[in-house]
Amino acid sequence: MSQISVNKQISPYMAFYMVTTMQIGVGILGFERYIAKSAGHDAWISVIIGGLSFNVLIWMIYRLLTKENADIIGVHRNLFGRWIGGALSFLLLIYFSSTILTVLRTYIEVIQIWVFPELGTPIISIILLGLAYSYVIGGIRVVAGLSVLGFFISLPLFLLKYYALKNAHYTNLLPILDHSFSELMAATRGVTLDYLGLELILLYMPFLKQPEKSQKWAHFGNLFTMFTYLITVFVSFVYFNQEQLQHTIWATLTLWKIVDLPFAQRFEYAGIALWLFVILPNLCIGLWSVSRGIHRLYKIKQKSALRTMILVIFICCILVVDRQQVDILNTKVSQIGFYILYAYIPFLFVIQLISGKVRKTKNG
Amino acid sequence: MIFFKKKKKKQQESNSVSTKGSLTFPELMKKLTASADFSTVKQSSLSTFYISYYKTLVNPEFVHRDLLPYITEIPLKNLDDIQKHLPLDGMVKTNDVHDIANKVTAGFILIQMNKDDPEGLLVPSLSTENRQISIPETEFSVVGPKEAFVESLDTNLNLIRKRLPIPEFTVKEVRVGKLSKTRVAIIYIDGIADEENVNTAIQRVNDIEYDHVVDSSYINQMISDNENSPFPQLIDTERPDRVASVLSEGKVAIMADGSPHALTGPTTIVEFFSAFEDYFLNWTLASVIRLIRLMAVMFSVLSSPLYVAVLTFHYEMIPENLLATLVASRNDIPFPPILEAIVLELSIELLREAGARLPSKVGQTIGIVGGIVIGTAAVQAGLTSNVLLIIVALAALASFTTPVYQMSNTIRLLRFPFLLFAQFLGLLGVAICFAFIVSHLLKLTSLGRPYIAPLYPLRANDLKDALIRMPFSMQNSRPSLLRPQDKARMNKKRATAKHDIED
Repeated sequence: MSQISVNKQISPYMAFYMVTTMQIGVGILGFERYIAKSAGHDAWISVIIGGLSFNVLIWMIYRLLTKENADIIGVHRNLFGRWIGGALSFLLLIYFSSTILTVLRTYIEVIQIWVFPELGTPIISIILLGLAYSYVIGGIRVVAGLSVLGFFISLPLFLLKYYALKNAHYTNLLPILDHSFSELMAATRGVTLDYLGLELILLYMPFLKQPEKSQKWAHFGNLFTMFTYLITVFVSFVYFNQEQLQHTIWATLTLWKIVDLPFAQRFEYAGIALWLFVILPNLCIGLWSVSRGIHRLYKIKQKSALRTMILVIFICCILVVDRQQVDILNTKVSQIGFYILYAYIPFLFVIQLISGKVRKTKNG
Repeated sequence: MIFFKKKKKKQQESNSVSTKGSLTFPELMKKLTASADFSTVKQSSLSTFYISYYKTLVNPEFVHRDLLPYITEIPLKNLDDIQKHLPLDGMVKTNDVHDIANKVTAGFILIQMNKDDPEGLLVPSLSTENRQISIPETEFSVVGPKEAFVESLDTNLNLIRKRLPIPEFTVKEVRVGKLSKTRVAIIYIDGIADEENVNTAIQRVNDIEYDHVVDSSYINQMISDNENSPFPQLIDTERPDRVASVLSEGKVAIMADGSPHALTGPTTIVEFFSAFEDYFLNWTLASVIRLIRLMAVMFSVLSSPLYVAVLTFHYEMIPENLLATLVASRNDIPFPPILEAIVLELSIELLREAGARLPSKVGQTIGIVGGIVIGTAAVQAGLTSNVLLIIVALAALASFTTPVYQMSNTIRLLRFPFLLFAQFLGLLGVAICFAFIVSHLLKLTSLGRPYIAPLYPLRANDLKDALIRMPFSMQNSRPSLLRPQDKARMNKKRATAKHDIED
């Protein structure tokens, strides 16, 4: 991967923004219900466990990639040869594309439920994909710039938590550790789905200057995500009681509803509009990485790969029609993501360790 | 890389107007004498010679007072004798017809021993009419220097040079435009400005292909990185003090003869919202004023689109108490919010344009007639709501707080796409439009450097003079965006040395 020229690369600290903006997507708007289902008011412990386990995964990913000095496609090729490695890379790219689709379709779903019930999926998806195209065409620097700006634009939304805290019942959180270990683990599994997204680092890491330094920032990014989720879960838990929470699909969005400023109320309209700057980096980093992957895999120009990707995602996006299908899409993609991160990456890690030893003995 | 190709071609055909074909000396003289203001005088006191010049370019007084007395009293054999006796600089003896043609049309006096002899002595004597140095009008400041550039390049360079009396202050001169042959100066401080920036500027100016370059704003458009962008990519200033100050930061300035403006770059977007007066005020005041200005820009761009978005789609967002006021004001309006907003915005633009085109005294009247009479009448007739009238008028006012004229134009036009998106998708549309603009800004560069620089790429060190202005004692390094060769402005330790209580 030494062929990437330095002026195409981005600073190591960008890993922070790219990891955290990629992790926080639509999930945060309503994930409280899923994790509270199994661990109740103790689910915040699962948020911490999940976040810490992802730090281990980041460490593994960095070891995996820096050893081969390549992206995941190069790693696959080195470990499994051209054909099997290529096939594995292809499957991985399909998974990445489906995460992009999921994010896009779920955001459109939120728009349709909360703001414009009559808005047709084709129109809004064309606009959003066109927007993403205009960023990705500018290269990784522009995409990274978007994630920085998106981060700072969405940061003030934290302030809205104040309105929920005004009516908080802190006793909702007591007693601590009221649930069994297996319940906590079930909730952890639920929460890992919201940490997904950092695995795209597998594709864009060669574009970060000085991988050793960027690893630190990637960890910070993941910790920031954990911190964000903790605050979100905490606020939702002290505002809603557990029973209410089970009937609230979009807990965070519902919390925005209670915002009451002298000049504006029902803040969820503005919130959903601002959420565009959370969704857009997701789409753009995803589209950039996948088109880059296709370019690496099949020697197709990245631009044509990007256009094809956008067309495919657009078509898939229209095919997902109602709330049930969006839900199924979310569940399936996050299940696959769960296995890719917790099973496939450790597997690759072990394979690499073994093959490294074998190579060493052969050479020695 | 297109630049390189163009450059080679350009050099071959430079001066093409006068080099077209092979011009002979008699032909040239025929062309020149065809103009009524060209005169050839035969002098034959002690020796005979001919003096030819454009009466309109050369001051006749100069010829009679500073030229003739030195050479009419002495017997002269040839041009070398004349050159020896004239107490003037920059004389050229040549028999190159093209050289003669270029110089005579630029205000040189041609002296020949024989009328048909192609060899002549060229004496520089350009006299131009200059405007007096006056007060800056578009970038007026209450405190601080009150001089602005004029239309003469030499005067302008003098204004800058006297503020930077150092040998490193370098002026590179290029001639641009096939017909106008405008003198364009590229100014920088050697040893501070990044060589790459200087070279980019020189190269781009060299690459200009056009027949006449009247003003620096032509150059601004021709050398900008993305000429389709509505955002200006170089700062256009009329203040010599501002130019001197940015040169010392490591920027490059470009000036054209005949233009009372200088272009400076590489620029970042935040610079367009900083007035030079910010440096004349205490840093706390300057920072607050800068923030107010930024708010004004946001307000100016977003207020009427937000009005349209909320009233068209999201009226639930309006709190009860406010709703009564809004409903009362919109009760009898027959139009949807978007039509109301566009009509009002356009009429404000109309007023501004009419005011700008008319002489200042009439312009003021138009402003009052338009602003007060039409506005009140429109509200009373029930065509627009007075809330929107207030919003639109404030937004127009806010757009004028932008210190750089080009940018304030951009800001004013930017709200129209926002209005359309707001009508189409409400608040989401506003966000989408904003995202499109961000995408454009992220891709934009100024002389090859990122346009929204201190924000992205995030350079914490440059933020000291971006959205806010920190005190001078903290401005100890030049902006890293410019990659200055000499990074430090001053000795930081000495500038921030703390004194003990009784020291």
